[in-house]
Amino acid sequence: MVLLHCNRDTFNSDFDCVTSVVFNKYPNPYATHILSTDVIDRHLDRRGDVLFTTRLIRKQGRLPGWVQWIVGGVKISDSWMIEYSRVDRRRKVLTTYARNLDHTRVLKVEERTTYEYLPDRRATSVHSEVTFTSGLNGIKHKIEALARAKFEESVKRSREGMSLVMQKIEAAAERVA
Amino acid sequence: MGSAMSASFAPECTPLKKRYDSCFNEWYSEQFLKGRSVENPCSKEWYAYSACVDANLVKEGIKPALDDARREAPFEKGGELQEREQGKEQEKK
Repeated sequence: MVLLHCNRDTFNSDFDCVTSVVFNKYPNPYATHILSTDVIDRHLDRRGDVLFTTRLIRKQGRLPGWVQWIVGGVKISDSWMIEYSRVDRRRKVLTTYARNLDHTRVLKVEERTTYEYLPDRRATSVHSEVTFTSGLNGIKHKIEALARAKFEESVKRSREGMSLVMQKIEAAAERVA
Repeated sequence: MGSAMSASFAPECTPLKKRYDSCFNEWYSEQFLKGRSVENPCSKEWYAYSACVDANLVKEGIKPALDDARREAPFEKGGELQEREQGKEQEKK
């Protein structure tokens, strides 16, 4: 079974600022669980309008104790994620797809996010969709529901973290100007 | 933003990552977004950083899962990833 969560939000910042933050949003105080980020691949399309990036992200594990007990007492202290992104500078759209690389039988979390510039409003909208899939028979519904509840909380924190980093970048830009 | 950049999973790669990230950030906002560049930038910084990451990935044991994941093409519709795959297909024929 798969659960889907959608979330929509708008930042009062331009596309350039928002997308720079996506590549530089860690560390921030709202994302202390992110331990590291590494760029694995980066290339441009032939015209130089679309930038593709693949990143490897390590985060501190947040699976609850009872899940760890079910999976055989294995202490899951951290996990790895892969994140693909695509920045189209002409259309001013940034799309990301991320999923966990390990523990996928217990829980696979796939997140798709689109940042899109709205010229009329001079703002950038962000829309996320998340899919939770567990391969464990019997308790998978419970794991999926729990993961969804946790996600609501984490999206809020993620947006707060983005805003904070954007304020810092804007403040730094003003100092330079 | 020097101090605000995140660490590499391998501590020995973090200084190389920071050098690469600084170069990339500058290129991203000043060249790419303004349509002034058709080249993937910072090749010197990139090779140093990526060689360090590759060497450490093997030690971490995450490499097989990562290699599997990289065969997926999440932006296959109109994306470069699919174009690459098609390129390979044509070479086979």
